[in-house]
Amino acid sequence: MSTTQLTAVRPWGGGLAIALRTVGFLFGLLVLIQSLIVVQARPQDLVSGFHGMVDIVSRSMPPDFAYLPEAAWPALETIDIGLFGTIAGICLALPLAVLAASNVTPSRVLYYLSRALIGFTRAVPDLVWALLFVTAVGLGPFPGGLALAVHSVGMLGRLFAETIENMDMAPVDALALTGANRMQVFTHGVVPSVLPALAGIGLYRLDENIRSSLVLGFVGAGGIGFQLLTAMNLFQYQDVSLLLIIVFVIVFAAERLSAICRERLA
Amino acid sequence: MQPLLEVRGLALRYPSGTQALIDVSIAVPAGELLVVLGGNGCGKTTLLRCITRTLTPTAGEVWLNGGDIAHLTGERLRQARLDVALIWQHAALVRRRSVLANVACGALGRHQTLLTALGLLPSIEMQAAADYLHQVGLSHLAKQRAGTLSGGQAQRVAIARALAQRPSVVLADEPVASLDPEAAQEIMRLLRRLAHQEGLGVLCVLHQVDLAFAYADRVVGLRSGRVAFDQPTSGLSQDAVRQLYLAEAA
Repeated sequence: MSTTQLTAVRPWGGGLAIALRTVGFLFGLLVLIQSLIVVQARPQDLVSGFHGMVDIVSRSMPPDFAYLPEAAWPALETIDIGLFGTIAGICLALPLAVLAASNVTPSRVLYYLSRALIGFTRAVPDLVWALLFVTAVGLGPFPGGLALAVHSVGMLGRLFAETIENMDMAPVDALALTGANRMQVFTHGVVPSVLPALAGIGLYRLDENIRSSLVLGFVGAGGIGFQLLTAMNLFQYQDVSLLLIIVFVIVFAAERLSAICRERLA
Repeated sequence: MQPLLEVRGLALRYPSGTQALIDVSIAVPAGELLVVLGGNGCGKTTLLRCITRTLTPTAGEVWLNGGDIAHLTGERLRQARLDVALIWQHAALVRRRSVLANVACGALGRHQTLLTALGLLPSIEMQAAADYLHQVGLSHLAKQRAGTLSGGQAQRVAIARALAQRPSVVLADEPVASLDPEAAQEIMRLLRRLAHQEGLGVLCVLHQVDLAFAYADRVVGLRSGRVAFDQPTSGLSQDAVRQLYLAEAA
């Protein structure tokens, strides 16, 4: 029955589908070609410049391990900027997320205001926040931490709010009907249900913030990035390679640690 | 004797225009298990929602402990709700908390302190919570997470939580709908015990006619939002019950 109908339809549908697929393929190809033109992709430059890259790599070998004690402090600074940014970000994002979750928000006005605030902090890149805070509080790790905190609010606030919105509301409604007040319903019903998910998101953000804090040093907001920039400007490539090794270890360790903690929470 | 819960002339019209309840009057005295039967969409759940006041009836009264709660709001409504416990179709436990903590949560309404607002449980209720858990036969699971329980166990914990609220009236919204027959019998036995031994008024909405005949003291039939019959189980005919579902099918 249905199979005979299908085979009867196929000659028509088959021709149409092939035509559509061809158009789709050509369109995809066009998109790719325009991107190659716009980025001025010239593979031959990569080939001709290859010996320059080899030169830099050879000059950066071996890494200068004598520089290690000097690099230790900026490395710690980088990790702590990420840590501070994440913790402060969570503290700012949590109350905003409660206001921005449609199922628990106390008022529509606050809902839209907090959504807008969360969107704004996300839309402005962390580098721009860092430049702003460097202007405000001067060079050093503190503006870096502040920049990450504010930028994290964007991602954390939105994901926290979505987690709260997607939670099972039955236990919350059940608690409200026992005569518990709003605050009790929140701390006994909402919080235990969403806490593991929120902690997971926070850990993921920590991993991301530590990576971001490496770059923030480029604009003078402290950490190992500043060291890296200075070493490159002074052509001290053996220091650069050591710093890159440290960066790799930090990023890899942060990612693994965050993943292990998230697995434990699940 | 004065009934614990009485609804008089209750009517509810949804904003869409659907008349869900029409002139419903039911009384639940102490020590009685009353079962409400009826087909889908006959107004059973709407009736419970009017009593717990998640819906405000368009007409009629809901008398609880000598006061009409049909039009209370805010703090006075919260106070009135302390006296009615609702057992949901699905147990509605906080899955990541322990069984005992879930039971103790039922007592939060009577302990409005800063510590309970910050997420702590009222310590003087913990022994009582353990006793209620014992009553439903689940003491051995007290420390386990609620999310690990079977459907029947979870529903028994929900009953213990309802008891921790120390209500005079217990409402149950199809409490056995998702349970196997054995667990369903267990829940019905518990509800009957609450009525007969604890002296509570129990109003239970059911789909299972056989369970109604086996456990109810009195059965109310709802059809298209009206009370079709209201009589003791002993005098109830199978035929009257069958009419409820026939009328719906017609």
